[in-house]
Amino acid sequence: MPALFLNLLKLIFLALLYLFLWQVARSIGAHLGTARAPMRTRTGAEILIVKSATLAGSRFPLSGPLVMGRSGEADIVVDDPYASDLHARVGLHDGEVMVHDLGSTNGTYVNGRRVTSPVRVGKGDAIQVGKTIMEVR
Amino acid sequence: MSRTAETALILVATGLAGLGTVLVNLTQGSGFDAQVVVTIAAFLVGFGGLGLATRRFAPAANPFLIPLVTFLAAIGFTELYRLDPSRAAVQRWSIVVAGGVAAAVLFALRTDGVAVLRRYRYVFAITALGLWMLPLTPLGVEINGSRLWLRLTVPGTSTTASFQPGEIAKLLLVAFLASYLAERHESLSQMRRSIGPLLLPRPSQLGPVMLAFILSFGVLIYQRDLGASLLLFGVVIAMLYAATSQRTYLVFGGALVLGGGIVAFQMFDHVQRRVSAWLYPFDDFTGAGYQVAQGLFAFGSGSLTGSGIGVGRPDLIPAAATDYIYAAVAEEMGLAGSVVVLAGFALLFAVGFGISVRSRDVFRKLMAAGLVLVLGIQTILILAGVMRLFPVTGITLPFMSYGGSSLIANMVLVALLARISHEERT
Repeated sequence: MPALFLNLLKLIFLALLYLFLWQVARSIGAHLGTARAPMRTRTGAEILIVKSATLAGSRFPLSGPLVMGRSGEADIVVDDPYASDLHARVGLHDGEVMVHDLGSTNGTYVNGRRVTSPVRVGKGDAIQVGKTIMEVR
Repeated sequence: MSRTAETALILVATGLAGLGTVLVNLTQGSGFDAQVVVTIAAFLVGFGGLGLATRRFAPAANPFLIPLVTFLAAIGFTELYRLDPSRAAVQRWSIVVAGGVAAAVLFALRTDGVAVLRRYRYVFAITALGLWMLPLTPLGVEINGSRLWLRLTVPGTSTTASFQPGEIAKLLLVAFLASYLAERHESLSQMRRSIGPLLLPRPSQLGPVMLAFILSFGVLIYQRDLGASLLLFGVVIAMLYAATSQRTYLVFGGALVLGGGIVAFQMFDHVQRRVSAWLYPFDDFTGAGYQVAQGLFAFGSGSLTGSGIGVGRPDLIPAAATDYIYAAVAEEMGLAGSVVVLAGFALLFAVGFGISVRSRDVFRKLMAAGLVLVLGIQTILILAGVMRLFPVTGITLPFMSYGGSSLIANMVLVALLARISHEERT
């Protein structure tokens, strides 16, 4: 085999390795982009977790009803020994954000008051589930 | 990105393995032959099969894991085939078996998911310990001064198969730790007393750290395996930090590694030999320093684009097909090739930690993080050893080195990650 030909093959092989990785990296970027896109749009209301063992600082956009609780089936899984499996639900009704308690053991609190029937909340209100505190924004 | 794109990427990576094989054949004077076909077939069955299993049993899984793994395996296989075609033939079988085992794991978890693993945590812990100690029994054999292997004779024949049970034990350890820490992370993270910025743990909180330390020191003494010992301790400390976000554990862990390292250096000549080969490879060039020195020569002669696959002399490096595969890559594919390998690993770990961050409960988060840590610590330890940033630890480079047990364990690891990523959105 002539050395020039082998050299060329070597470079082509290296170039292919880079092309492959470039393609993967680009798709990862696109993948993250599509995963994030639906979060930015919507009504604008979102739930910000203020105090929590694991979720502090996370935001959940309120595009549909969100159930919070300890169960893996909840939309916001709080790791909190004082929370029930399916503790409370925050939903949109005619453009208003409503908080429902789902029969939790330790109760759901809005601005420190226990929720007994569905309560309307607005921006800046604090919702407490167990020891987890959230803010509507 | 869709599953179709994933399949396409796996096929392209398989093509790279085939092309690499062709390149080796060209330089050795044979060209396109059956070896190429068999290699492509093995990659298709092993990695393609795992891709199909993911489609079937974890359809929402992250689509980048398997293509990246296939890519790394393709580079490793090319170099292995160039170094030793007969070992490459064994490795092809390992790829097929590993793909099958990983697919079986996905199948077993198809309905209940990884959450089911929480139930068996003490079974896992005891099994992991047992597997680690198994080579110390008469079934074990000593290879290159470390007692890590089991040699089993296939009944009725004289064929023997070697297996490293410690590879599987790593996965069980992660499953145990994730489940244990998911329950205890709160009590382990509450610390009151402090010295300056450093919070002091209560004695009970240091229990897991000390236990891990004693175990890893035991591995170092009885199996004479520096790498496994550091990996074990590193995973425990890193997972404790991930679960509690208390830097204290990193500080104490680091102090223990340093202290333990100094004691081990004083006590054991196998540790001393490795450290002196690391610091002064040319003082004992024909003896202990030979491997490190040959590795450095390989990096040097590789230059920017390498000698070309099949043209260099990576066969001069001891253990080039296993621990030192990265030096062989650096010699024949140059800086360009070694950087692409690093980038491949970096992307794989980034994808893995991304899965951990997006998972929705503590157990899955810790499980994913632990699995990536096992891969990451191994990769960093052996790469740092080969590049002479650290003493050589004798760990295989995941997915690239020759070795069936390690490939099977790492493929199962990737299957578990895929499953966790599938569950992040259900």
